[in-house]
Amino acid sequence: MVYYLIICRSLTYAQRTAAVLERAGITARILRSPKSIAGEGCSHAVKVSERRLAEALVLLNRAELKPKRVYITEEDGSYREVGL
Amino acid sequence: MIYLDAAATTLQKPSAVARASGYAMGHMASPGRGGHPPAMLAADTVFACRERAAELFHVREPDDVVFTMNATHGLNIAIKSIVKPGDTVLISGYEHNAVTRPLAAIPNVRVKVATSRLFDPQEILRQFREQLTSEVDCVICNHVSNVFGYVLPVVEIADLCAGRGVPFVLDASQSAGSMPIYMDQLRASFIAMPGHKGLYGPLGTGILLCDHEVIPLLEGGTGSLSARQEMPDFLPDRLEAGTQNVTGIAGLLEGLRFIQRKGPEVILNHERFLAARCADALSALPGVRVFAAPRLFCQAGVLSFQVDGMDCEDVGQALGEQGIAVRSGLHCAPLAHRSAGTLDVGTVRVSFSAFNSSGDVDALAGAVARLPRRQ
Repeated sequence: MVYYLIICRSLTYAQRTAAVLERAGITARILRSPKSIAGEGCSHAVKVSERRLAEALVLLNRAELKPKRVYITEEDGSYREVGL
Repeated sequence: MIYLDAAATTLQKPSAVARASGYAMGHMASPGRGGHPPAMLAADTVFACRERAAELFHVREPDDVVFTMNATHGLNIAIKSIVKPGDTVLISGYEHNAVTRPLAAIPNVRVKVATSRLFDPQEILRQFREQLTSEVDCVICNHVSNVFGYVLPVVEIADLCAGRGVPFVLDASQSAGSMPIYMDQLRASFIAMPGHKGLYGPLGTGILLCDHEVIPLLEGGTGSLSARQEMPDFLPDRLEAGTQNVTGIAGLLEGLRFIQRKGPEVILNHERFLAARCADALSALPGVRVFAAPRLFCQAGVLSFQVDGMDCEDVGQALGEQGIAVRSGLHCAPLAHRSAGTLDVGTVRVSFSAFNSSGDVDALAGAVARLPRRQ
C-alpha cells in the first residue's frame, strides 16, 4: 500500500503533527523514520495514507507545523522525497 | 502522622499518581528510543503530560515544556542560559538557594537585591522599580516565599521587565498548582517549578517553561539528530538529554489532572483557610510568634513561627516525636531569613496541601501548647 511519511524534527513535533491530523479524522501513525531517509541520524515520522496527504498538509500549514520533508513509498519498498 | 511540610514536598498525593507511576514501571520503556509499543506508550504519556502542562500554564507550544528533576534543575538551566560572567542580576530578598547559589557560581556576577519587610508588596515593587536600571541583565523572582508564604507581586514585576526588555525568570516552586501562573501573561523567559510539591507528582519531577534561547546543562542522547555531535537546537530535545523519568512523568500527569479537576483557586483557598486558622491558633498561645500577613492578604498556605525559649530545631524535633511533620531552620533560604530578620534563629515552618484539614491545624496547636519550654 502506498503511503506518505512526514518527517519531523523531533518526537514531540511528530506527536503534535499526529494530534492535529487525528483531530481532523486523518489516521496518523508515528514511526521512527527509516534509516535511509532519517537524514542526520534518528528522527520520527508520521505516516498518512496516500489520499489524505494534501488535506494533511493544509491542516499542518494552518497549525504552523512545518514538516521537515515528505516521502512517498515506492513499489520496491524504497522512499522518494516529494517536493512541497 | 500529620504532615505539614507540603512546601518541601507533598506527601499525600491523589491515588491515581501512584497507580500511574506503578503502571509506567511495568509497561513503559524509553520514549523516543524505539518504535515498539512500550516505547511508544511512554512517548504518548510524556507528550500528554507536556500538553497538559502547556494548557495549564498557557504555554504557546508543548515543545516549550521541558521536564526536569526538580525546580532547582530548571532554575540552573534558566540562570545559566541567561546570565554570563560579569552580568548584573536583580533578585528579590526572598530567594531560595536554588537561585542564589547558581548565581554565586558564575564568576563576577553582581547581584542586586530588591527587598522589603515581610508582607509589604508595595515596598518590594517600589524597590524593583528603583533598582531595575539599565545595567540589569536579568531579573529573578520567587512567586511565593518558601519560608513565609509571602506572595510577591510578580505580575507587576514581570510588567516592569517586559517594559524594559529585561529577561524575567520566575521561581514558581511554592505557587505552581495553587496560584494562577500564565506564561503568556507574564512574558517570562523561564518559569521553573517542581512536580513533587503543589503539582502532586512524584519526587524527581519538575517542569521548566521556556521562552528564551537555552544552553543545555547536560549533553547526550535525545533520540533525534543522532548523527550530529551537537545537541539539537530545538526544544524539548535540547534540554532533555538521556532517558526521561517516565514513571515520574506518568504520575505527574495524574497530578496535573487532579489540579485541573479541582481548580488551583479552590486549592489555594483551602490552604489559605488552614493557614489563617493556624495563625490564629498559634498566635493565641503565650510565647509563640507567628509571621502572618493581616488576613493573609499576600500570603499563601505557608507560615512560619517561633517559640520563646526553644530552638526552632528543637520545636521541629519535638513535634516530629508527637507525629507532626514540620520543617525548621533556614529552609535553604538564608536571604529570605535575612530580609525578615530571622537569620540568626530561624523559624519553624508549617505548610499545607489540598489533603490537610482543620483537624491537622488543631492538632498542631495542641502539640505546640504542650511543648516543654525553658523558663
